[in-house]
Amino acid sequence: MFSAQKEFVGFDNYLTAIRSPEFWMVTKNTLIYTLGTVPLNMLLALIVAYFLNKKIAGKRILRTAFFAPVVMSSVAAAVIWRWVYEPNFGLLNYVLSWFGIPAVNWLNDPTAAMFALIVMGVWKTFGVNMILFSAGLQGIPKHYYEAAEIDGAGRWQRFWDITLPLLSPTTFFILVMSVIGSFQVFDTVYVLTSGGPLGTTKVLVFYLYENAFKFFDMGYASAIAYLLFAIVFTLTLLQTKYLKGSVHYSI
Amino acid sequence: MSARKAGKVLGVIVLHLVLYAGALVTVAPFLWMVLTSFKELPDILTYPPRWIPSRFVTENFVAAFQAAPFGRYYFNSMLVAITVTLGQLVTCSMAAFAFARLRFWGRDALFYVFLGTMMIPAQVVMIPSFMVLHWFGWIDTYAALIVPGLASAFGIFLLRQFFLTIPRELEDAARIDGCSRFGVLWRIILPLSKPALATLAIFTFMGVFNDFLWALVVISSDEMRTVQLGLAIFRDRYQTDWGQLMAASVTATLPILIVFFFAQKYFIRGITLSGMKE
Repeated sequence: MFSAQKEFVGFDNYLTAIRSPEFWMVTKNTLIYTLGTVPLNMLLALIVAYFLNKKIAGKRILRTAFFAPVVMSSVAAAVIWRWVYEPNFGLLNYVLSWFGIPAVNWLNDPTAAMFALIVMGVWKTFGVNMILFSAGLQGIPKHYYEAAEIDGAGRWQRFWDITLPLLSPTTFFILVMSVIGSFQVFDTVYVLTSGGPLGTTKVLVFYLYENAFKFFDMGYASAIAYLLFAIVFTLTLLQTKYLKGSVHYSI
Repeated sequence: MSARKAGKVLGVIVLHLVLYAGALVTVAPFLWMVLTSFKELPDILTYPPRWIPSRFVTENFVAAFQAAPFGRYYFNSMLVAITVTLGQLVTCSMAAFAFARLRFWGRDALFYVFLGTMMIPAQVVMIPSFMVLHWFGWIDTYAALIVPGLASAFGIFLLRQFFLTIPRELEDAARIDGCSRFGVLWRIILPLSKPALATLAIFTFMGVFNDFLWALVVISSDEMRTVQLGLAIFRDRYQTDWGQLMAASVTATLPILIVFFFAQKYFIRGITLSGMKE
């Protein structure tokens, strides 16, 4: 691994990755995780931020509660969630049993494990986006709403025609950052599922870590790192290209 | 009219109920962790789950601290987090001062290079950093945990933006009175930048204290482990010892939660200033 003499292998490591079914599987898993967390996360964050922006008693306490998971270490959070997902005594199966839903072995069932990871991921990070949406909402001038109200616009109309368009720079920023963040997920995967069962939750950074520090294939792991960078970079460019048109800075 | 008013009141009540229920669901895992850490085994393994322990006991904490050197892990985490935080305050404030106030060749180009490094995912830098530290013989030492974190582009950016908002007249007056450049930074800029410094300090402390991946990569011996690393290893070893696991998790979470409750506005300011992720 650390010999002074290293052979130059050109693009061999990249070709190995592209030809490896495992690389495509972990990329697919990462994509599923991203598609599962980002929209749910943003929707929840927007709803909470929107309502917290109204006259609510105990706003500070509520904000603290929604934000608390963000500051917690992801290792401790994942340990707690293992307990929540525990099949026999766990909180989740108990709550589901109220609705007659049979117990699920969340972390050992190949179809349920990714779902479990996504739910925890949303819980852990939506507070960040809630704060960002709140800041965005506070930046919308009040007189737009007053004018719309005088013109007889209803609550929904005000939301669709004023709030959403004027929030779009914030929304766009949050989308880009959330996609980048979810492509880099690692800690929770390591503690919650260790990439299992049957590799269904093995994501790109976990694959990178495994190759670099378990199999000590630094060359291959570095290629994975750059492929990760390339994927994230491409996704960011695509979002900029195709969504910039729907970002409004004024009405 | 009164029906409409009643509807409005009802709407407000429903809104409050939904928000408080949502908040309760969000903090439920925390409550569950804390309460479980004080339960005896029969209380833990009961179905349906029981929220309140029938007897509050501290034996889970005692057992966890005996099973693994959490005291030592704690000391390591605190040492690393405090050193990195202080180091960043020093290096970032000086670099930010240079970028905000001094004039030198290539200043703006250099600043954009710094900004550009923020776009590169940490994982891309991880392997080369590891190899450099290995070459230094620093693997499994405090240096490996501390030195790579001593400067940050994010910190420089955050402080520079703040320094730019401070009026120059104050400094000009001090310069005329014979104050040195360093004196300007130390006596004028820094005292006026306390909110920005606090934001950076709290963000850095939280990031380092909660960091896992880097510690996992560079630390191999038990006595060098940080709290997060120690907790993850403890989790591997005591898979189902939920009482001890929850006690260890409470331990690993407590310092940040305490800081968070007293300095919430700095966390929120840090997020809104940067949009930075956890």
